[in-house]
Amino acid sequence: MTAMVECRSLCKSFGVRPLLDRVNVRLASGEICGLIGSAATGKSLLLKLLCGLQASDGGEIFIAGRRLDASSKEELQQSRKHIGMLFQNNALFDFMTVRDNVAFPLVRSGATSAEEIRERVHQTLRAVGLSGSEEKLPAELSGGMKKRVALARALVARPALLLFDEPTAGLDPVTTARIYELLGAEQARTRATMLLVSSDVDGLRRFVPRLLMLHAGRLRYDGPSDKIDSSEDEVVRQFVRGADEGPL
Amino acid sequence: MTPISLLHRAAPSLELLRHLLWRSGRGAFRLRATDFPRGEVWRQMHQIGNRSLLFVCVTLSFLGMVLVFQTCLQVNRITGDLSQVGAEFIKILVHEFGPSLCAMMLATRVGAGIAAELGSMVVTDQIDALAMNNVDPIDYLIVPRFVASMVMTGALTTVGVGCAVFAGALTAAYSFHVNPVVFVDPSHVRIGDLVTGFFKCAAYGAAIPLVSGFCGLSAQGGSAGVGRSTTRAVIASSFMVIVLDFVISGVAYFTLQSAP
Amino acid sequence: MISTLRDICREVGAAYLLLLHVGTLLLRGRFDRRELGRSLAAMGADSLPIVALTAFFTGGIMVIQAGIFVRRFGAYGLLGFGAGYATLREVGPLLIGLMFSGRVGANNAAELGTMTVTEQIDGLRALAIDPIAFLIVPRVLAMVIALFCLLLVGDAVALSGGALFGKWLLGVEFSSFFHSFADNLKLADLSVGLVKAAVFGLAIAISSCHFGSSVRGGAPGVGRAVNAAVVASALAIVLSDQLITVLFK
Ligand SMILES: Nc1ncnc2c1ncn2[C@@H]1O[C@H](COP(=O)(O)OP(=O)(O)O)[C@@H](O)[C@H]1O
Ligand SMILES: [Mg+2]
Repeated sequence: MTAMVECRSLCKSFGVRPLLDRVNVRLASGEICGLIGSAATGKSLLLKLLCGLQASDGGEIFIAGRRLDASSKEELQQSRKHIGMLFQNNALFDFMTVRDNVAFPLVRSGATSAEEIRERVHQTLRAVGLSGSEEKLPAELSGGMKKRVALARALVARPALLLFDEPTAGLDPVTTARIYELLGAEQARTRATMLLVSSDVDGLRRFVPRLLMLHAGRLRYDGPSDKIDSSEDEVVRQFVRGADEGPL
Repeated sequence: MTPISLLHRAAPSLELLRHLLWRSGRGAFRLRATDFPRGEVWRQMHQIGNRSLLFVCVTLSFLGMVLVFQTCLQVNRITGDLSQVGAEFIKILVHEFGPSLCAMMLATRVGAGIAAELGSMVVTDQIDALAMNNVDPIDYLIVPRFVASMVMTGALTTVGVGCAVFAGALTAAYSFHVNPVVFVDPSHVRIGDLVTGFFKCAAYGAAIPLVSGFCGLSAQGGSAGVGRSTTRAVIASSFMVIVLDFVISGVAYFTLQSAP
Repeated sequence: MISTLRDICREVGAAYLLLLHVGTLLLRGRFDRRELGRSLAAMGADSLPIVALTAFFTGGIMVIQAGIFVRRFGAYGLLGFGAGYATLREVGPLLIGLMFSGRVGANNAAELGTMTVTEQIDGLRALAIDPIAFLIVPRVLAMVIALFCLLLVGDAVALSGGALFGKWLLGVEFSSFFHSFADNLKLADLSVGLVKAAVFGLAIAISSCHFGSSVRGGAPGVGRAVNAAVVASALAIVLSDQLITVLFK
């Protein structure tokens, strides 16, 4: 099967400290994968590199076999049409209503009729449990509702690659469970490739079959999520167990 | 810091500036409604124009009073003939104080507003979210503000000049017993004055959204960053107004004002 | 309309209370001296370049405007007087005040606003430190002193700029410019400008401290507060300008 995402020896640094140092990642089409790591290790940065919002310092990125970095602007735009991104702080357009926010990717892609857009927005909002809030502005929503609107906006155009930056941060356990369930249902339906960044390691492990752990610029773990406890790397074991004694 | 590293750090800003100038210029001529939401230009005109109207009227009225008061005081000290003060006041208002003071006010009101709005869009990743949908932030956000500002600066200046003349006439009548009919005398205003005033309005109207849009889009680092970029927008656009005023006045002095 | 009016009254009232509070603390001498020194450096010394540049161009603009009259009447001997009078009494304090409001007032509102949204002000209160005595009084004092001194420098720069441009653009000799200036202007013209500077400094200080310390709602809130502070400062500047002009005729 072709790889949906492939990075080869990806490097990025701000100033002197390298945040990503020759990172290799390969996600097969339709795979679900989690990315963990301590704060400020560059998890969000990796997602932004994957959709070309930041330029890398070195290495190659392929999305669905198409070279992302060093490609022309039109090619970058083509690639982005197949990517949906949930930003860490939602990035909802605060001058648009919930409906317009969710409709935005469909309106901009220009391929669908107004009728169809209305229908799709309605369906997606119902799926995230937000029917009835269409006319509200983001400033009027609670944190969990904002997160779900942002999720709806990432899902609405049914992209083949979905990148979620902290989809459950700051949410209560019930909402968290609902969001994982929703993502599972979406994946079963569309077979999209998903990469989830989360600091909630336990919740994430139950949902994703494969985990990556980023630490000090390198991938310290890349393997099945049920085997991560018995990894031979002490850093990984300490991080997953949450012990306060260890090399970290 | 070496010149090379300075240049390296300035490169993204220069790139942004180049895009801003080129795209806004092109966008203003080509106003393609697909580049930004329908009605966005109207919405921005409302934001920039209607919501600054009261502010501009109040400030320009008071400035009109002050200027007339000072001038009458001084003319009284020298010649004592106040009959020409109104006509000269209207003339200088049209080609200098009307556009420039109005633009100084707009630089604070509109410049800070645009930078605050765009800056908080940057630090909350909304600009990145636009990019994910293949939307260019300059076409989408700056061009409507640019067009609206060009139109509204002219309109507000016209209203502001009216307010200043009215307030000035009241001051002259009340404090110096100048008949308002004598005071409100536009006969000294030449074509050259109108042209100078028009060019000033156009230049200020273009400069304020470009400068403050640049400051807003280059914000970084949370709420402190938004504050910094808003501050920078206010200073940079006010300073831009002063420099443009100087340049256009200088050019007009040698070309238009010397004509009869 | 009514609600707008009510909002305006509420803000003005709150700013007035802040002014009273600052005044009492100042008279009792209860404020942080070290913060005063730091603020004076940050607000005064660091604004010098932008104020000097503004003043230089202001001098140029006023010479061009005065030149239009002077040329019409052939009265080149009055150039220094006309440009000097307008600069010292009116345009200098106004433009420098507006620039100061943008440079220092906006910055102050942003800084206090960021401290408020990141709960640093509450942190001070928790340590039993009065945020007004610690943060606001020194800043208010520093802004008044700084704008006063900056105007002195600004006037000098504006007049030198005026003389330079008078020679370049109109061919009026320096000696003629300064004679016309010195013969016709009194110390009173300079001092009206300086009184204005002090009052503008106070107005900018109070409005920026008020809007900065009453921020709500994260990053957009800080932006809005800066916006409100500069608008309120501009209004306060033109209102007090009118008042002082009438009082000190
Ligand atoms: N555009 C940028 N400019 C400078 N530093 C950045 C930029 N983006 C991210 N960083 C730095 O990179 C580090 C990693 O950030 P991030 O990817 O957000 O971490 P996290 O793993 O918590 O998501 C942080 O220390 C941040 O300061
Ligand atoms: Mg992150």
